[in-house]
Amino acid sequence: MSDTLWSRVLRRWQDTALYRSIVRTPPVDSPRGRAQRSFGNVFLHLYPVRVPRRLLDFRSTFRLGYIATVLFVVLLVTGTYLMFFYTPAVSMAYGDMERLRTLVGFGQLIRNVHRWSGHLMVLVVVLHMARVFWDGAYKAPRQFNWVVGVGLLIITLAYSFTGYLLPWDQLAYWAVTVGSDLVHYIPVIGGWARDVLLGGSTIGQSALLRFYVMHVAVLTAFFGVLFSVHVWRVRKDGFAPGTLKDSRRGASARASAGADARASAPTIARGATRRIRLLGVVEASPETAHTRTPDDEVFAWPHLLVRHQVAALATLVVVIAMGIAFDAPLRDHANANLTPEPAKAPWYFVGIQELLAHFDPVAAGVLAPTALLVLLAALPYVDRDDTYKPGDRKLVVSLVALAGATALVLTVIGAFFRGPGWAFVLPWQHLYFEP
Amino acid sequence: MSPTRREALETGWTIGSGLLAAAATWTTYEALAPLASVEGRGRLPLSPPDAYADGSVTFVREGHLYVTRVKGELFALSQKCPHLGCRVPFCDGSARFECPCHGSVFNLAGEHMHGPSPRGMDRHPLVIEDGRVMVDVATIIEGPSLGPRQFDTPSPGASCLDAPKAG
Repeated sequence: MSDTLWSRVLRRWQDTALYRSIVRTPPVDSPRGRAQRSFGNVFLHLYPVRVPRRLLDFRSTFRLGYIATVLFVVLLVTGTYLMFFYTPAVSMAYGDMERLRTLVGFGQLIRNVHRWSGHLMVLVVVLHMARVFWDGAYKAPRQFNWVVGVGLLIITLAYSFTGYLLPWDQLAYWAVTVGSDLVHYIPVIGGWARDVLLGGSTIGQSALLRFYVMHVAVLTAFFGVLFSVHVWRVRKDGFAPGTLKDSRRGASARASAGADARASAPTIARGATRRIRLLGVVEASPETAHTRTPDDEVFAWPHLLVRHQVAALATLVVVIAMGIAFDAPLRDHANANLTPEPAKAPWYFVGIQELLAHFDPVAAGVLAPTALLVLLAALPYVDRDDTYKPGDRKLVVSLVALAGATALVLTVIGAFFRGPGWAFVLPWQHLYFEP
Repeated sequence: MSPTRREALETGWTIGSGLLAAAATWTTYEALAPLASVEGRGRLPLSPPDAYADGSVTFVREGHLYVTRVKGELFALSQKCPHLGCRVPFCDGSARFECPCHGSVFNLAGEHMHGPSPRGMDRHPLVIEDGRVMVDVATIIEGPSLGPRQFDTPSPGASCLDAPKAG
């Protein structure tokens, strides 16, 4: 069965000193060998050697953090491609967009995939936060990683917002005019901060170049650092107990639902000889000890990796299908003298814009979003007790749900129910929304 | 007692790092602060004052501003809405400045009538020199605060906003 020509050639190649110098492959027929494979490979090493079995269930994390990462990689690749065809100059940017649409092979598709992946990433990051919140996975010792995550959320929004201006069409120009003008409501430093952000008091060449450099270089540097810290801490802190087992699965359901996972992913047997070389000195009772019960663990490679591979492929299929089905909008060339009706901020800021129509600008445009971010970052330090189940932390769950619902309602009203002059318009009469 | 060598070096390193951080911050700020030349181009000479009849509105494209005359007074109004920076067009029908973004409405003198704007339209100082109106484009005077208006004129017709009175 295994003695085809191909397998013999493969084995010969794997026996060469050259191959073994590139890929260190201890035999995988023992737990020790499997562990060594993970330790000896920089990519596999991003994963813990063993993960809790419940992670194999899609519903444990919905793979949201992983999908956000995949989207980020898609954005890096498509973004690099776009950089070959784009000049951040007022006189050229819009023409470059048209050339991309009409002349460059697959240019429109690449741009579509970039844009939809960007929007999707904002959405997925928010959902990821919601899942982590629901599971109480921000509790000790993972508080700081939640704060890092809030930082990544801010960077994701900044990515999307700076990218929004680059096509230099009417949509870009006015969405960013409205969005960046919020900055000047910050007390004392507002006007100055806006001028530094835009390189002037209005959006022009300096603003376009600044947004471009932020979008491709500055934010990427910050994202790289925070992302590394984020993943490294997930890897080191282990996974929170999760709520899936307790809240969704009875003992009997577990037996049947877990059956196939069990068959394909044998548990590391209790009492099996596991001699693993010393990797570090562990304290007698590490903070994360309660999450490390070897009986209910499986090897991350291949069991979790296969599932991640499926999630990655599904994500790719979705964004490419979206890119084929829907074109990224490109309106007329930006015109500083012609305000379109209405001028809306990008959808994730449109809730603030809605708030601005009702309240004092400093309160609605500055205090409310700042308070939201500060409270979000402070959440693990406010909600400190050691309970994970949502049912046991009804107060904090209701408060956060209330805040989330408010933001959602404001965003939906601003995005779909507002027309020229910010008047109330029913979306099925006329939809003033462009992503 | 004089510090040990270790203490002296530690102090030196701390002060040095602090200076370096301050220098980096200053450099970054100086580099990123907007250039003066990017901002307004100083003073803009316009027509003689008699050219602006009472109740007229003249758009000056070079300065992104309107020159209006109401009840004898001349105003140079910035086209930029104080709310969120949209350009405010003039509506002939209602003889009002009506912002299409969020429905702020201003009278001919730029005084706030309704809508979400926190104040009236911003103004530029103007003087009459050698028989011509000179507008200082580089200087912006914040528009009049909300409250009683001095320069209301009757509105001859309908608003240009599709659905008036939003927000």
